[in-house]
Amino acid sequence: MSLSNLIKNWSSLRVRRPYEGQYKGKDYKWAMVIDLDACTGCNACTTACYAENNLPVVGKESFAKGQAMHWIRIERYWGPGDHMTEEFPQRGAQFLPMLCQQCEAAPCEVVCPVGATHHTPDGLNSQVYNRCIGSRYCSANCPYKVRYFNWWQYPERAWPNPLELQLNPDVTVRSKGVMEKCTFCVQRLTEAKNRARTENRLVADGEVTTACAQACPTSAITFGNLANEKSTVAKMWQAHQIKLASDVQEKDDTVRGYRIFEDLRTYPSIVYLEQVRDLEA
Amino acid sequence: MNVCIKKLMVWLSLWALVGSALAEPFAPGGAIGSQTDDGYNALGPVVEQPFEFPHNVHAGQMGINCMYCHTYARRSAVSGIPRLDKCMGCHKLIESVKDKPRIKKLFEYWDKKEPIPWKKVHDLPDFVRFNHERHIQRFYFREKRSIRETCGYCHGDVASMTTARRVKALSMGWCISCHQKEHLENASTTKTSNGPNDCWQCHK
Repeated sequence: MSLSNLIKNWSSLRVRRPYEGQYKGKDYKWAMVIDLDACTGCNACTTACYAENNLPVVGKESFAKGQAMHWIRIERYWGPGDHMTEEFPQRGAQFLPMLCQQCEAAPCEVVCPVGATHHTPDGLNSQVYNRCIGSRYCSANCPYKVRYFNWWQYPERAWPNPLELQLNPDVTVRSKGVMEKCTFCVQRLTEAKNRARTENRLVADGEVTTACAQACPTSAITFGNLANEKSTVAKMWQAHQIKLASDVQEKDDTVRGYRIFEDLRTYPSIVYLEQVRDLEA
Repeated sequence: MNVCIKKLMVWLSLWALVGSALAEPFAPGGAIGSQTDDGYNALGPVVEQPFEFPHNVHAGQMGINCMYCHTYARRSAVSGIPRLDKCMGCHKLIESVKDKPRIKKLFEYWDKKEPIPWKKVHDLPDFVRFNHERHIQRFYFREKRSIRETCGYCHGDVASMTTARRVKALSMGWCISCHQKEHLENASTTKTSNGPNDCWQCHK
């Protein structure tokens, strides 16, 4: 960044966020809605993510040490009751797919000592692998624990010849010592934006989706462009009375939408729809 | 006194380092010729092709548009290396050059039914995403610059080379130096904009 450019574009580079109407008139703001009522905890999203984003399967031992590389994981919560003694509590488990929340005020971005993670104009938290030095500060600062570190040189272990042929060429194969995270399938977004740009239009609603949303058998995950008010995602955000730039949502009791750890003021881009449960029974 | 000189020396060497680091990406053609033993020169690996393809004849003398052979440049991320039948489509019918050694070689591959194993010259690292389509659409189709100029930004004047070689740095600083410039949005306007400044546009 040259000094003249810095001075000239100071107002656009000195980003203040989030604020109401931040993405008004902008082309894209990628966001997601996950309906927990529809989620069956089948793990299809995780599998799809492994295939799409070249995630290494680390093996049992590393998994036990907490070194698994799943960018989207299914968290399981047992309901009320004595789940320590019962193998299958009466109400069953609740599932919650946890992936990078693409926060508008991301705690991970501000602590990176080398600027390997930053905010894109589309509202994503980007991670630039070749810039990352592996300080792991971002992971320590992430309240959702959705950043994953390459403790080993996985490519040779995870994809012995000829398995490397199934790797996605549009996604970097990460090497030892770098941090990685969910990208909202940025390779797909880039491709869709490129196609739209050549045709002199914007990406249409439903034209592009993430691998997890695509694989979900119950369509629990909805992905789209929040800057487009007519998109499915924007309508769902509106219906559930969630505002991107506020940390306390003023909404009715009748709507199910919420964002995780909103009080930490991370302003996530993912809205979860609460599971409907009959607590009386 | 001794310390003083030492300090001066350190500063001088530091400045020399900074100077050379700044100058390197924009080094003129002089350094290209000097090749080290491991097959690299100042701009990267030196690539030996299976035989010498004369770009200077096709693009230079004949004035064939680059996209006649590199078909995908306008509609895909990669420009594409033409298939052998693209060569043969013309060369089957051009009697006058059939005895030339390079054309004989071409026919050899054709008779063996084997593709010519061309090597990649402008090879970027795997973590970089470069899109030909975006650049061709902008500069050739919208801004109506000549194809020689459009492709020449990154590939140099290929019409004066035989086999293509790297003449530009293709480093990040070199890309950014152009992305920061103001470019016309199309041929019939004075409105300008510059290239994207976001990491994820090019890094993946």
